[in-house]
Amino acid sequence: MKKRVLSLILVGSMIFSMAACGNTADSGQSTETPTTQTITEEPVSQSTFEGDGSEIEGGNSAEITDGKFAETRKITVEVYDRGNDGGTDPTNNMYTDYIKKGMLEDHNVEVEFVAVPRWTEVDEINNLLAAGSAPDICLTYSYPTIQTYADMGGVLDLQNLVVDNKNDLPNLWNWLGTTNMYWDKSVTDGTLWALEGKRANNNRIVTFVRKDWLDKLGLSEPTTKAEFHDMLVAFKDNADTLLGADASKMIPFSCSSDIGWRAALLIESMIDPNISDKELYVNGFDDRKYTQNGTKEAIRILNQWYNEGLLMEGFALTESADEDSYMKAGYVGAFMHNWDYIFRNGEDSINANLKRLVGDDAKFVAVDCFEASNGEYIKYCDSTAGDRKIFFPTTNDEPLASLLYLDWISDPTHIEYLQCGDEGVTHTVNADGSYSFMAATGDAIMNSGQNIDMTITCNGLHLSTDELTSKSLNNNYPPCDPEDVDKANKVANNGKKPAKNSKITSIEAETGVGEGLNAKRDQAFSLSVVAPVDQFDSVWDENMAEYLSAGGQAIMDERTTAWEGLYGSATTLE
Amino acid sequence: MSAEENKINEEIEAAEVTETVESAEETATSEAAAVVEEKGLKKFIKERQEYVPTTTTGIYIKRYWQLYVLLIIPIIYFCIFKYSPMYYVLIAFKKYSIVQKVSEMPWAKNHGFEYFIKAFKNKDFIYALRNTITLNLLDIILGFPVPIIFALLLNELRFKFFKKSVQTIAYMPHFLSWVIIYGLALQLFAPANGFINILVKNAGGQTIHFLDDAKTWVWTYIGLGIWQSFGWNSIIYLAAISGISPELYEAASVDGANRWQKMWHITLPCIRPTIVVLLILALGNVLGSNFDRPFALQNDLVMKNAEVISTFVYKYGIKGLQFSLTTAVGLFQSIVNVIFLLLANWFSRKMGERGIM
Repeated sequence: MKKRVLSLILVGSMIFSMAACGNTADSGQSTETPTTQTITEEPVSQSTFEGDGSEIEGGNSAEITDGKFAETRKITVEVYDRGNDGGTDPTNNMYTDYIKKGMLEDHNVEVEFVAVPRWTEVDEINNLLAAGSAPDICLTYSYPTIQTYADMGGVLDLQNLVVDNKNDLPNLWNWLGTTNMYWDKSVTDGTLWALEGKRANNNRIVTFVRKDWLDKLGLSEPTTKAEFHDMLVAFKDNADTLLGADASKMIPFSCSSDIGWRAALLIESMIDPNISDKELYVNGFDDRKYTQNGTKEAIRILNQWYNEGLLMEGFALTESADEDSYMKAGYVGAFMHNWDYIFRNGEDSINANLKRLVGDDAKFVAVDCFEASNGEYIKYCDSTAGDRKIFFPTTNDEPLASLLYLDWISDPTHIEYLQCGDEGVTHTVNADGSYSFMAATGDAIMNSGQNIDMTITCNGLHLSTDELTSKSLNNNYPPCDPEDVDKANKVANNGKKPAKNSKITSIEAETGVGEGLNAKRDQAFSLSVVAPVDQFDSVWDENMAEYLSAGGQAIMDERTTAWEGLYGSATTLE
Repeated sequence: MSAEENKINEEIEAAEVTETVESAEETATSEAAAVVEEKGLKKFIKERQEYVPTTTTGIYIKRYWQLYVLLIIPIIYFCIFKYSPMYYVLIAFKKYSIVQKVSEMPWAKNHGFEYFIKAFKNKDFIYALRNTITLNLLDIILGFPVPIIFALLLNELRFKFFKKSVQTIAYMPHFLSWVIIYGLALQLFAPANGFINILVKNAGGQTIHFLDDAKTWVWTYIGLGIWQSFGWNSIIYLAAISGISPELYEAASVDGANRWQKMWHITLPCIRPTIVVLLILALGNVLGSNFDRPFALQNDLVMKNAEVISTFVYKYGIKGLQFSLTTAVGLFQSIVNVIFLLLANWFSRKMGERGIM
């Protein structure tokens, strides 16, 4: 009997709690109302901007005079946090102070920076957007993320904003040009969800080899795939000479599980050099070229290398920090990576470490050895676009102030200061006018190369003249040898094939499947590389079939249809 | 002390023993009656007369209301973190939008079941479902008996200090994060430079792919899981064992039972209710999956066996922005879990055990 009473009480309390929950849910909704209100207000504020636009001709609106707001506005700006050792606080350092001060003086806009971890930026910005607490100015490398949120109504359409306020944004228009401003403009409905930051430097990947090992073994720098392979074999066979007691730690060719990136030049060399723009576009959803013709044969080569013991066993488990430490300790013979990878991070760079830990002559140098079937060293790369995409979430109440921020940050003098800092602190000026950069200390340390995290509309060194830029670039990586930088830069520029804009922005089949497909691709690459040679075909085909059926084929079909709808039977873009 | 006195004392002791045995066997009602007896009938009547509502429920609430006040805290917790999110389960049946309220979102196609259909057409989800069930069942089959055996063995140890030390060392890994455990595993099992593989290779053997071969990985996963949790899980069994009346063992000794027989016929039957309750809970979780363990141990080479529902939801829902699809998956998972729980409970009642509800 007592038990029954007890259970009745329990049931009662449960019903009570459910009822209470109903209430909390309701009250939750009522607290949500203000935010929905601001969102519904958005079109209104947008239309006021349109109104402003019409007034531009006859002097500006009451809001701003000479580019300056009457009342102080406040905006928040995303900044990447790279978490590097000995770096500065990304939201509060010498350069953020410079921007804050300048924005307040020139436009009466108060700027606050919001740090977002660089290596998980897409996840993080997703969380912030979903929570409605994203910064007013957001940036990401992933356009599909922006498109997805735009489809949900979470992103501001910039089209009218940038056109109507053109007179107030001279630097932005000058620097990005119509190419980058309109890169993501939809041909179907004219919407513009994001502005493409400009690459002042679109160098991509090069191959690095240990120069001192080549010298020790009396080899010359490889110029073909075959020579590169022979060199790897020589490294492996002479591990005792090269590494002595550490011979067992020899890694002739280092790679991570992101094979599509870390063997990109090998993959690109197996693609038909006369490939049509249409084929590039149709297979272009995957930026690792997984479905392009030729990729399979490239991975077959890598599979053979793996089975010959030229790659590290368990490379798929190795974190990039560990891989870096193998390179720095001198166990790695060759690898592919960003063109300036070995020079990054000053005293902690790979080449500086090699010099310190292994010996004065120990260093990596860039080589060009992955020839396409026509003998050229083709390197597929981005155009001036393809860098960070800047967008405003609908929670942005200050679109004009935000645009003025982008304009300010695109002013050439501001870019130059942010990239070069103060004389005597971060650089010295040479006789020919070019800059020599020096390792900065304290608050003047830049968290990213050429401070690209601060100059979100500009990636790569951009000084007043091109000549000055290229001269200064080589001096940009102290303490690394400027000649090595120059060589890597030349190799990276040899055979560049910049991407073209297909102007097709939205493919429905791509929504939401990117993460899953990318994971599948990485698995397919890794599994194919470690497969026994005789099982390579079956492993590759099986994984490819799965990738295609999981959405890859649907994307390619929709892309083909979209292409044919826009360009008909033409296969080339201007 | 005379012989007579001794005899009387013995008789009193014997009477006390029977009393305790009897009282232990008595039900809750008679226990309450015993309390009344203890306090004295007069006092009880006096107390009863003081209360205006003379029902037992009234007394009960008046006496224990503080406990119910305390209960409000967990109830609030459950309301905020467990019940109110349930409202948002509706997302599974709606087309999700970041800027709309749940009530404003349009219903999904196929009478709201679009995303359930989509999930079951998704090969990755089927893989994740298969892996979740396989890994959890293996965990139960191989992992469930381990803490029981460990508790039984520990119980047989007589040297107290040693027993305590072993116990403490065994449950330490429970406090390690899976990221750290993966770090340890990498040091031990990595194919090129893991400690064990270096030993194996030095002995002339072939590399064992503990972490990067899909099949071997399953056993590494299960093994690490058991290693991490068996010590902690054995605590409940040890507590249950310590509650067993020593007289049962003494009586068995008198009857000439050896250690093995005592363990088999006394210890195990006495902790059977505990085992059953824990087994029901474990079975109720057969489709559940924690996130950190599979996520920390995954890599590209083993994903075919390592993708489970929780990591699937993370990848497609949070990273891939398919909130409706993954809410549907989560809802499906919860419903199947409840069904499993009820089935296991029903089964244990059929078998004559008490169950958990």
